[in-house]
Parts: sequence; C-alpha cells; structure tokens
Amino acid sequence: MHRTLALAACLSAPLAAQPAGGAETLDRTAFFERKIRPALAAHCQACHSSKSKAPMGGLVLDQPSGILRGGSRGPAVVRGNPGTSLLLQALRYAGGLQMPPAGKLPAAVISDFEEWIASGAAIPRDTTPEAAPAAKGPDFTRGRQWWAFQPLAEIAAPAVSTPAWPKTKIDHFVLAALTRNKLAPSREAARRTLIRRASLDLTGVPPSYAEIEAFAADPRPDAYEKLIGSLLLSPRYGERWGRHWLDVARWAEDNPTSEATNQPYPFAWRYRDWVIEAMNADIPYDRFVKMQLAADQLPGFRRDDLRALGYLGAAPVYHKDARLSKEVIETLSTDDWDERVDAVTRGILGLSVACARCHDHKFDPISARDYHGLAGVFASTMIVKRPLTPIDPATESRLVWNQDRITRLDYMSKMLTGEPGTSPEESRKRVIAMTAESDALKRETPAFEGPLAHAVIDAGVWVNGTDSELTTLDFRMGVPRDLPVFRGGNVANPGEIVPRRFLTVLEPGEPAPFRHGAGRLDLAEKIFTAAAPLAARVIVNRVWGWHFGRALAATPSDLGTQGERPTHPELLDDLAARFIANGWSLKWLHREIMLSAAYRQDSRPDAKAASIDPGNRWLWRMTPRRLEMESWRDRMIEAAGGLDPAMYGPSSDLEDKANLRRTVYARVSRGRLNAVFKLFDFPDASQHSPAREVTTSPLQQLFAMNSPFMLDQARRLAGRVESVEEPAARVRQLYRQALGRDPSAREQDLALSFATTPERWKQLAQALLASNEMMFLE
Amino acid sequence: MNRRDFVQSLSGGFGLMGLAGALAAEQPRPVFRAPHFTPKARHSIFLFMTGGPSHIDLFDPKPLLARHAGERPGAVDVRTERTTGGLLPSPFQFQRHGQAGIEVSELLPNLARTIDEIAVVRGMYTFNPTHTPARNLIQSGNIAATRPTLGAWLSYGLGTENQNLPGFVVLSPGNNGGALWRSGFLPSEHQGTAINQAEPVPEKMIRYLRNPDLAPASQREQLDLAQALNREHAAGFGPDPFLEGRIQAMETAYRMQFAALDVFDLAGEPAHIRRLYGSSQFANGCLLARRLVERGVRTVHVYYGQGQVWDDHKSINKNLKKRCPDMDQAAAALILDLKQRGLLEETVIVWGGEFGRTPVSESGDGRDHNPYGYTMWLAGGGIRGGQVHGATDEFGFKAVENRVSIHDLHATLLHTLGIDHERLTYRYAGRDFRLTDVHGQVVRPLLA
Repeated sequence: MHRTLALAACLSAPLAAQPAGGAETLDRTAFFERKIRPALAAHCQACHSSKSKAPMGGLVLDQPSGILRGGSRGPAVVRGNPGTSLLLQALRYAGGLQMPPAGKLPAAVISDFEEWIASGAAIPRDTTPEAAPAAKGPDFTRGRQWWAFQPLAEIAAPAVSTPAWPKTKIDHFVLAALTRNKLAPSREAARRTLIRRASLDLTGVPPSYAEIEAFAADPRPDAYEKLIGSLLLSPRYGERWGRHWLDVARWAEDNPTSEATNQPYPFAWRYRDWVIEAMNADIPYDRFVKMQLAADQLPGFRRDDLRALGYLGAAPVYHKDARLSKEVIETLSTDDWDERVDAVTRGILGLSVACARCHDHKFDPISARDYHGLAGVFASTMIVKRPLTPIDPATESRLVWNQDRITRLDYMSKMLTGEPGTSPEESRKRVIAMTAESDALKRETPAFEGPLAHAVIDAGVWVNGTDSELTTLDFRMGVPRDLPVFRGGNVANPGEIVPRRFLTVLEPGEPAPFRHGAGRLDLAEKIFTAAAPLAARVIVNRVWGWHFGRALAATPSDLGTQGERPTHPELLDDLAARFIANGWSLKWLHREIMLSAAYRQDSRPDAKAASIDPGNRWLWRMTPRRLEMESWRDRMIEAAGGLDPAMYGPSSDLEDKANLRRTVYARVSRGRLNAVFKLFDFPDASQHSPAREVTTSPLQQLFAMNSPFMLDQARRLAGRVESVEEPAARVRQLYRQALGRDPSAREQDLALSFATTPERWKQLAQALLASNEMMFLE
Repeated sequence: MNRRDFVQSLSGGFGLMGLAGALAAEQPRPVFRAPHFTPKARHSIFLFMTGGPSHIDLFDPKPLLARHAGERPGAVDVRTERTTGGLLPSPFQFQRHGQAGIEVSELLPNLARTIDEIAVVRGMYTFNPTHTPARNLIQSGNIAATRPTLGAWLSYGLGTENQNLPGFVVLSPGNNGGALWRSGFLPSEHQGTAINQAEPVPEKMIRYLRNPDLAPASQREQLDLAQALNREHAAGFGPDPFLEGRIQAMETAYRMQFAALDVFDLAGEPAHIRRLYGSSQFANGCLLARRLVERGVRTVHVYYGQGQVWDDHKSINKNLKKRCPDMDQAAAALILDLKQRGLLEETVIVWGGEFGRTPVSESGDGRDHNPYGYTMWLAGGGIRGGQVHGATDEFGFKAVENRVSIHDLHATLLHTLGIDHERLTYRYAGRDFRLTDVHGQVVRPLLA
C-alpha cells in the first residue's frame, strides 16, 4: 500500500516542496524515519556526521538539510530522480564512488533508497538548528591580535629581588620569572667550563688546554667579555652558525631522487660558502634573508651575490616524468611550490602556511587565497644555473632558457630512444625532431666556462599537456603567473585566480598585489616591513634556542596558535625590539645573550629545582646538552691532532679516511644521506626542519666503538703522546689533548692500570674520544 | 679468529640462542603508545615486490583476454605510463586451490598450497602511475618523498620488543630506494635499519657491527674502562638523562654485536628449513624476517631483488617464469614456517608491489604500469585467510568491486596490530599527521 502511494506521488510531484504537514507528507517522512534514517545511521554517519569536524567529502548525512545540500561532489539526492542521484549511484557501486566502502548494502536496503528518492525524497526538518555554511573564511581582524604579530617595543626591565645577579637586561626578565616560580639561579659556571661552553657554542671547536688555562688564570675583570669578542671574530664562527642556518634552509646538494628533471646541484657548495661568509661578515639578518630571496633585484647587486639565491635555487624538486599526465605533472609542480611556501613561512615567518594549501588554515588566520598568493611567487620563479661573471640580462635569459629546454629535449629523446613504445616509427621521428631542436639550441647557446651558482630567475611555469604522449613544462621568461585557488589542493578543481601577494593577517588590510617580476623582492620587503616584528621574533627565538638548547617559544618554526607560547614573552619581545634597533646584527644578539648571567650559569642538576621545573623552562641553570654530530666529530678530530683549517670549496666525503675537514664541508644529500649523518640525527633536507632531534641509540655507540673513523682518530691521538716516556705524564698529556684538562687521581689510576701495552694506549685514547664528556656540552 | 670462535669466546659456553634469549629477557618491555584495542598481531612482515608485479598473470585470472586478444576496448583508454597496444592474454594456467577454491596461477604452486592462509585482495587500487610516487604511496600514504613510512609509524606506535635490535628492519639487497624506510618527521630512532641480505655475513649487513681490531674479551675490558670513566664523569656532574642513557646504550650496543651475529647468521638453521625456503637472496630475506620477528622485531620489510625487478615492460612471460619460482617458494615457506612455530597468528604478512600491470601489451610482450586495479595479499595475524576480496573488471584494468585503496590497506594493517589509524597521530608543522592522512577505512571482511 505504502509503496504504491509513494510511487504515485513520485509521478505526480517529483519535486516535492519541503514537507509542511498533511497526512501524505507524514506518511512519506515516516518512510524516511523507518527505512532511510536507520540505514544512514548504521552505514553512513560514522564518516558523514555533522558532529565530526571534517565530515568525509563535506557530506553530512545526519541532518536532513545536509542530505539535500550534498557534499563536495554536489547534491547527494535529486528529488524524484534516483538515476541521477549521486547517493544512489554510490550505494549501487555503479561508478567511481562506492559507498559504504566496507561493502555494498543489501539489495533490499538499496531499493528502499531508490523508492525514497523516486517518491521525492521527503524528509523532516532539521532536528537542531544548523550552523550557516562555512564560507566566511578566517577572521583576520581577530587573527591580527595574536601576540606574535604585535608591534615591537622595548620593555622596561622588571624589578628584581637580587639586583646583584643581573649582568644584562635579559637577566632581569629571567630572574623575575625564576622568582615568580620560587626558583633561584645557579651560581656562575667555572672559568674552564665557560670557555669550553662559549667556544663550542660559538665556533664548534674546543679550546686548547693552553687556552683554557690562560683563560682560567686571566686576572682581568672583563676576561669573559674579551673571550666572547675574540670568538665572534674567529672565522670558525661562520662555519658553526652557518650550519645552523643551513638546517633552516634545508640545504643539500641534490634531490630526493635526482633524476633527469631534478638533477643534483653540483655547485650548491657555493651557497653554503656564501652563508658562512655572510655569518662571519655579520650581514644584517634582514639583508641576509632578502639576498636569499631576491639578491638579483636588490640595490648594490653584484653577480657574486647570486650564490645567496641557492636558498631557492637548490631547493628540493620532484622529478617530472614526461610520460605522466598533465594533471599529475601539475600536482608535482604544486608540490614544488608548496615546499617553497613551507620553507619560507615556517623557516622565516614561523607560520605553517602550507596547512592552507587545501583549505583555509584550521587554526591560524591564513586562507587558501593567502596560500595561493604566495605560491604564485614560486610558480613564477625558475630554478636555473646563473653565471657569476658579468653577462647582459638578455643573453642570460636566453642562456638559462636554452639550457633548460636542452635538458628536457635530451631527456625526452633519450627516453623515447630507449623505450620506443608501441609505435617505434613514430617515436623515431619525434626523436629526430627533438634532437634537431636541441642541436640548434646548443649551437645558438653561448659557450659558458665560468663559475655558476644554483639560483633562480623570474619566469612563470605552465604545464604543457597538448602532446598526448609527453607532458612538459613551459617557462615564460619574465612572465609571472598568478595561481587559481586549487580547491582541496586539487589541480583539477581550480577556483578564482589570486594575485601574487602577502599574507592578509600580516597586513593592515587587504594585501596589495606584488609588482616586481615574480614578486620575490616584494615578498622579501614585506617580510621586513609588514611582518618585521614576526620575522625578528622568529630569528631571535631560534638563536636563543641554539644557545640554550630550548627556544623561548619551544616550537621555533611555529609561533602560530598551534605552537608553544613563549616562556618569557616580554624578554622575547624586548630582545627582538633591540635586535632590530641594533641593525638586525646576529653578532650583537650573540653577545647580548652570552654576556648574560643566565647564559653563564652552571649546568649541574639540582634535585629541588628539578622537582619544580624538570625541563628547565625557567632557566634555573644552563641546560646541559649532547653536541650535534658536526661539533662532536670536529672536536674529536681537533683533539686527535687537529682539524684541516681549509675553508670553503666543493664538498668532502665523510667516508674518506683522509678527510679531516670540518663537518660543515661534508657532502649533504637528500636521497642518499651519509649513514653517519643519519645515525646522529642530521635533519632530512627534503623539507624544512624546525630543530634537531636528539636521540641516543645503540647503533650510534657501535659507531663509537667500532668505526674506522674512531679507530683512526684513536691512533692519531695515541700517536701524539707516544713520545712522553713516563706513563703518568703520558696520561696527563693524553687528557690535555683529548679533553683539555688534567686527569683526576682516580682517572689517572684507571688509565695507568689499563694502558699496559701500546695497543692498550690506543684503546685508552679511543675510550676518551668515545667518552660522554667528549659529546657533552656543560 | 673466525666468527664462531668469536662468539664462543664471548659467550663462554652460553648457547647462542640462550644468550640471545637472556639478552632480550633482561630488557624491560617498553610501554605501547598504541594499541588502541587488543591486537591480533604483534609483528608485521611486508614482502615488497618492487616494480609492480602482474596481477593478471599471478592472482587475477582474466579468461576474456584470450577471446579479445589484440583488441582495444574502451575500458583501456585510461592514461598509464607508456603507450600500450591491444589486450594481452596470460599464457599461464589458473587452477582452483584450497578449501575456498581460489584461482592461483601455475607460476605459484607453493603459494597455491597455502592459499587457505591467504586473503587475496583483488580490488586494490592506487593513485599514481609512476614508480617513485607510487612507492611513496604504498610505503608512506603520500606521493611526497618526505612523510614517515609505514614501518616508522609502527615503530613509533608500538615501540620495540627487543632492546638489542632495531624495531624496524629492512632487508634490501643493495639498499635500493633508501627513502622508503625514512622516519620523515618522526624521531629518527624509528627509521628502518637497512640490512643488505645479499651480504653473506652479519658484519657486512650492519655497519660497524664488529671491531676489526679487538676480540670480545678485550673490547669488554676497554668498555669497562670507558664506562668507569663515564661513571666518574657522571658522578662529578650529577644525575643526567643523557649521560645515563648513553651508558646504557653503550652496553646495549656491545650486546647487540652478538645478538645481531646470532639473528643474522643463517648458518645455524637446520637443512630442512633451508630447503623449505630455498637458497636465493629473497629466501634469505624471508628466513631472516622470521628470525627477526621471532626475536621481537616489530616490523620487517623484505625487498625482492635490487631495483625495479617486477617492472616487466617487455618479455613479461619469460621474466615471470624466471622470477616466480624462488619468490613463490620463499613466501610460502615463510607462511608455513611461522605457522609451525605458532608465530603466524601473531605476525601479519603483506605481499605486493607499488601497482599492478595492464591487461594490454606494451612493446609487444610486456605490460605497462596499472594503478587502477591490482592484487596484493595478506596473511597471518588478524587476517581471515582463504578468501578473495574485491574484483577488477572483466579485463583486469580497474578495481570495480570492493575496492581497497592504499589507505584502506594501511588502516587494515594497523588494525590487525591493535592501532586505530585515525588515532595514531604525530604533531608536526602545526597539525596532527597520520599515516592515512584523512583517508582510509578498515576493510572488515579481511579480518579474522
């Protein structure tokens, strides 16, 4: 009876209005309640519920209005027309969409849905008022109130209970926080500890025994200040702190796969060298960053500065196999841009903008439009090798375009030659044509012999899918590309075009479009005008973290709402304000931090303080740390007989026994990272890394116990003291060389009773190199 | 000193197995981060067929291909990697096996005999037609070469059961594709430890496993000295987790030298077991996988051969005939051997590649990549064997029935190990990441 009625209703009123009462409507909504709602509840609502934050496919099936509205694929139900209703197609497993995924529902249930839709899909009103569809996007006005975006101003030092303790302004903030938390600072560390700490922290190289003793005996009241001053002048400083920046810049010399279209970067060492030089020269941080984004567009540009563009020019790139579809290649291109957006925003701005690639950021005030406004800058930026010697712009543009085109043509013709596919004749013709074009370009391209840098140049990229077999990239020199919002991160679902521009939340109003070329310079300028307070907080926070082992805001690449709030917000703000006032000088910042009483504290544990603050958030002591792999290796080589002091140049191989250069000069690979690097928590350079992990694993200790490197260094170290005849004197000399100190009586005894043969002396030397003390920064 | 003397001199009469057992037993079992519910399996083994083996010739018979050989029906007009020709029938015969009467190719007689342990998933599909992104998908749920891999997630979620060995071991001859066991943004201790099972001896498989100069007793004395000095240092400094942790790790490393020599040394396996697995590289990998899970290693991935061996763009029939016998023998042996030791019910096994192959030909006698539909199989803990799940279309091009995505497979695999794939998360770059991203459904019919 009911069935006949419903079907009749379908014929007469296929597009039933929203039910408003009446016997027939009640009857039909009763059908919904009896048959459809239970089925939806049992099989669909686990994934499609209004209670879930992100219902699958945007489809909500526990609210009648949601059923009618449908999801991202459009309406789920076309009233009266089961055949075109997506819901029914999915239930029937008729097309690409098959629901529920766990298995097709019984035929009887499916026919209930068919009947219900055919009869006009009557449903009762929503049981609860539903929120308006979310289309408004992030609340930028509220977003602009976030602490990290606020203007910076110097803050008066708080009054402290122990006025004798503070040495710099920093200490007032630290001491006030300690007092608030019922803690007190530790005493100042011993002179010998201080010189070791300051040297390893600032230069990554240990002081010699003589330097340590001279410092310990230095009667001048400002001996420590003088020490910091001289360490800051050491060229070793740039090698150590340049390496910190290289982590942020996810620097490496190849690509994760390094195939035909994402080849290695043989000149990437020139960027590494530029970073070391820039650090040593204390180039102001704002200029340091601007050069990495747009050196070629800054006033006073010299071609040598192109090396700085390695930040973008040696970025990780995905291989784009020409046999892939246009859509896949476009997706890979958006992945490339995404990497750049991520590296710049997390690395320099401390914001996770890449979260807004597929949808407005769920937590931070960043929209998908913001994301695509930035991504457009990188869609307009081409990775190329640029000459470091003078060349006129037109010739350079021609040169880099030709080189790229030649690489792609040669790659495709090689591919078609090797695998001609099912129509070898057709392939052969194409290879001939491509070879001819490539040869012509090679004849036309000026021979270039001089030094090159992996850099970028302004050129928009479009994916060319006109050829049915080969998809390639078209670069248009000097032509920027604004991107559409790829909805859901899907290149097949483009929305409105967004001009290249900065992040809305960091601007007072709607951001103006970028005007210069790709927009790299505009972006760089915005970072240090509109976003200057944020950029300053980010780098000051990072530098603090590298000195203390924990940044003031413990998530250095995320100062957004999902990051940790700073433990000392006023200190961070004051330091950032003064950092800008002091010309963005990193060396000023080091001095300010290292001269503080907070930095000079002893690092020994204290049970009482640890019970209040086990993580040392309030800085009741200096936090002791394991050295990074580079410092550990460098320290051992230095102890065993000295590091090779040569700076700069092509990378060396960590596996090479004769390689005694500093570890910063070792080759860094994205695809095949050296095993020792991997073992000791070297970050994966395929993406930006916020901070180093510190792990302690047995495999690391196998390296310390058994590796050829350790055995070699032990041999060197033992050899250095061989000439000392008297055993006790030899032990003393060994300790001075290895650890820069004299042994205790107990250590002396242990060593003497162990070192009974020349072989045992070598083993003793290895024990000192492998010791905890060698790896530990007090 | 040869290795046997070396181990003898260390263990002082302690039998090898006894030593390994004693070493494992003295370690406290780590707390599980997961499980979210009672797991069926505690270990997993992934037999990875790099290159993409042909479902059409191995597990998914398509008799219609013979009738339409050479034709190009509309269904083939889906973009694959290369240019393809007409439909290419499989020359291999399929017969029904086991209680469920599941059709298996004549290329796989041993797996056919164990088919009642196996759930054949014929409805697999993936999202990318080229090797590198597709391998990233199957190993990490994402085409990017940056996300944590399956084994790293499991190590992170479940910890290790044996402190003397890594929680995630990869047996990969030549270590091809090093990125496929990366830890991504997870702590680096979770990355796979790659062992080259093509190397004949444990010392070559694990770097720095053995000191070239020192006998164990001498090294023990050196370590005693080093540790005495470390304790002096620690006493002078005060309690510190790094200093303590490294002293412990030194001891574990010392013991690991011998635990690893034991676990990776196949010489002690009885002849009948060696015969069961065969003598190929892959056989060694499968046998090592059993020895590793037996000793509490959480996840073992075994790679078949070096490079994209199953990538049969041409001469597929000849290649399969050459390659299948040792794969078949060793994979089936692994199932049988685990079963006879009572380990199969706590070990879930996955077999498959990054995609399948086309029913149409390439270069005349090859098959192109096919991400739209292909076969993988599961067996062991938590899995109901003796079933076929899902189906491809009449030619084997697309999965059309009970389709199972990579994320569904991952969700199901995690489920057998007691992990809710939606709750195994890691906070990174401002949001919670998971192996299955926002996708994945546990495929209930596959579960026991």
